[in-house]
Amino acid sequence: MSRGDYSLSTFIWLIIAFLVIYPLSILLIESFKIAETGAFGLGNFLEFFKDTYYLKTFANTLFLSALVLLTTTVFGIPLAYILARYRQRGKTVFTALILLPIVLPAYAGVFAFVIFFGKFGTLNLLLMETGLIETPINFIYGLHGLVFIQALHMLPFIVLSLAAGFTQIDPSFEEAAEVEGATGFRRFVTITLPLCTPTYLAGAVIVFLWPFTDWLTPLILGKVDFLPSVSYINIAYHFTDTHRKYMGIVAVVVSSMVCISLFLLARWWVERKKYTGLSKGTTSEGRVIEPSPLIKTGAYLYMGLIAFIVLLTPIVLGLSAFSRRWVFQPFPTYWTLDNFRVIFAESPLLIRNSFLFSAAALLFGVVFGLPAAYIIVRTKVRGKDALDFVITLMLAFPGIAVGVSYLLAFWNTIPLATHWIIMPLALFSRRLPYFLRMAHSSYLQLDISLEEASEVSGIGKIRTFFYISLPLLIKGVLVGVVMFFIMAFQEISTAIFLYRGGWETLPIGIYLNWHRGMEFGIAAAMAFLMIVITFILLLIISRIGGGILKAAWGPGSR
Amino acid sequence: MAFIEIKNLFKRFKKVVAVNHINIDIKQGEMLTLLGPSGCGKTTTLRCVSGLERPEEGDIVIDGKSMVAKGFVQPSKRGIGMVFQNYAVWPHMKVFNNVTYGLKLHGMSKQEVREKTQRVLDLVDLNGLEERYPAQLSGGQQQRVALARALVRNPKVLLLDEPLSNLDAKLREKMRFEIKSLVKRMGITSVYVTHDQAEAMVISDRIVVMESGNVVQIGNPQEIYEKPANRFVADFIGTMNFIPCNITRFLPDKKMAHISTDFSQDILCRTPDTGATTPGKQIYASIRPEDVQIFSEPPQDTANLFRGTIAHKAYLGNFLFFFVSVNGTMIRVQAPHHLPHEEGREIYVFLNPQKCMILF
Repeated sequence: MSRGDYSLSTFIWLIIAFLVIYPLSILLIESFKIAETGAFGLGNFLEFFKDTYYLKTFANTLFLSALVLLTTTVFGIPLAYILARYRQRGKTVFTALILLPIVLPAYAGVFAFVIFFGKFGTLNLLLMETGLIETPINFIYGLHGLVFIQALHMLPFIVLSLAAGFTQIDPSFEEAAEVEGATGFRRFVTITLPLCTPTYLAGAVIVFLWPFTDWLTPLILGKVDFLPSVSYINIAYHFTDTHRKYMGIVAVVVSSMVCISLFLLARWWVERKKYTGLSKGTTSEGRVIEPSPLIKTGAYLYMGLIAFIVLLTPIVLGLSAFSRRWVFQPFPTYWTLDNFRVIFAESPLLIRNSFLFSAAALLFGVVFGLPAAYIIVRTKVRGKDALDFVITLMLAFPGIAVGVSYLLAFWNTIPLATHWIIMPLALFSRRLPYFLRMAHSSYLQLDISLEEASEVSGIGKIRTFFYISLPLLIKGVLVGVVMFFIMAFQEISTAIFLYRGGWETLPIGIYLNWHRGMEFGIAAAMAFLMIVITFILLLIISRIGGGILKAAWGPGSR
Repeated sequence: MAFIEIKNLFKRFKKVVAVNHINIDIKQGEMLTLLGPSGCGKTTTLRCVSGLERPEEGDIVIDGKSMVAKGFVQPSKRGIGMVFQNYAVWPHMKVFNNVTYGLKLHGMSKQEVREKTQRVLDLVDLNGLEERYPAQLSGGQQQRVALARALVRNPKVLLLDEPLSNLDAKLREKMRFEIKSLVKRMGITSVYVTHDQAEAMVISDRIVVMESGNVVQIGNPQEIYEKPANRFVADFIGTMNFIPCNITRFLPDKKMAHISTDFSQDILCRTPDTGATTPGKQIYASIRPEDVQIFSEPPQDTANLFRGTIAHKAYLGNFLFFFVSVNGTMIRVQAPHHLPHEEGREIYVFLNPQKCMILF
């Protein structure tokens, strides 16, 4: 333990205090401010929990979360089982396709599904043309559509966590049950599933929290009675109505509290019951089954269906991006590059901003993340566990909370919000844990004796870091860097509160185009552009880190 | 009539042959050990007996019933109990539920389940721990839970796959005897897999030594140690000096032969029971370190006696261990530690003709 470690740790804590603890405390304090008098009290919260509308919103959100979790679980269990256990061709391709939603922006999917499943969308028009239905079916507007879109976006998290469980369970647990006479489904229910609960829970909590974070999907689908959407509307639309503003802030605080409590609860539970680490001698591959031809066909059909739905997003957005006047037609008829011409002619700024802000956020991420990972993994500095805890907790905070708290904290007392630097700063602190986790896990894999050997040979700590640690860490760090960039590039829920004229990014542009005049073509073209950029970045990661799969799952795995 | 017959068993994984057409007969109530280095096919053989692995050719017969040839019999229908290398005690179930899992599936009354469980927990000395979770038990206790679970359904056959390899050395030694006496008391036919030769010696009625998918030797521990079938067995079980040699003259009636080595033109040696050697193959005069005798002064009899120098000496507590150089050939010697021989000193080495055997 050296003096250097302490100063480094102090530096990290100062950043955390300034960018995380300070704004979030301001958010909390503001939520106690009574609009009419300016005094502080419990009034807002009392009103929130007495008002039937807000209570209904709260209940709605919980209900939606439960439905999304149920849907992802029901569809995720077979999917994870197929991917983890069956020996089959094309597994990598299917896995990559099914996991795709993780790296696609959620709002891109919403636009695509509105175009495809909407009242006069492709599917309805096709069904009517063939005469199967007379009037269009409401596939997407309403709770069912919301559940469908959010569940699809979160499905990869459940699939990945369950698949991790299925592969990590020691095969002999199931073999022992087989010898004891439990076959097939029974063994699955009594042994396999219970042993997967810890890994499942790690994914389930992320899924459950999504409806507390996603304000945009309900807005687009016209069902706004959910906490994040209500907060957004109250704060962003009614900025002058201070009463509604404070109720919005309360809603944000309530969401954050729910998220943090559930997150901590799940974490505590998972830590307590870690089955997978209990037995020794696990094979890396786990149990692999050769399914019968019938089951194999079923598995392929099922995977194909999910993959098709996932692929709808880029395909539909692509069609929409390269066409105009796609209305009341199942497929576009007029092909053009106009949308892109408009984007590049009128708003090249958006693209520039997106890259600039993400790159700046990334720079902060690296400068902060590497030393933070070093402190947490390699030193015994006091308070390092607290540091780890605070950073990890940021995973649970809804983006909206970060956005609103920055707006409140950096407006009057510290007027940072008048400078564009606030944008990358917010993006950085929102995605703080992602980069750190990445650096963290690479650091854990780096054998400490390699560094010690260098220090013993008389090379100082800092030079050891640059000559030995960094070159060995670089792969994991680079994957983390690109993943962080993708995340920052797609960020909307934080940025939407902070942007001013001239600071718009691509995601904000997408939202504004939809919002102002239902300029779907341009919004779709922007979303398509983002998907293309994401894909290029993913290709870069897979070159560095071996496999799209690993790349996509990187930041989430611990 | 054997109780378990492993007939012409053949199994490969992708292109690697794991078990190559082996035959083993196991008598009722016998404790048989499959012994060999990792990758020799011992675990695969056991898993074929259990039904967790399907053989490509051959058959497993248990108590007169074919398990493979006349339709594959599922593991649960074979009347076996199995103890896994990592215990495979289900961490999400209490001890009681772990043990009764199989009983419940076979539709037994609650009373019956309780009695049977009580009896088997008594047997493995786990009484009073029924309500514990595996994580609250020590490694040795988890091991007993696995054993109780395997025994509770009164299996005809008990299969044990390196059950002690995850325990620490002291406990391992104790459990060897416990498992043996338990299994013998219950009279269960058992197959035990291990790579630890000392464990095999303690626990087995008979040992099957395997090497790369083949059975090299079957015999009781004494036979395996004293009359190893070849150099592999001799080297795997215990320590052995191997001295490259050529046969100069056979004495078939005495089952002896005269041989020549680098350091001597005439050594008398036992020939293997199997008879003559394959011509052209290198043969070795083999003797265990504890069978080599050393003397400070030459004794009367001069046959098989050689002059050498002590190259290295090690003190191992209950005995001394020497490397003796006889004209450049190193011979390992284990001797009682009152012998005051220092490194560099000249001594006489006696290779007892009755203990020195020809192996290849």
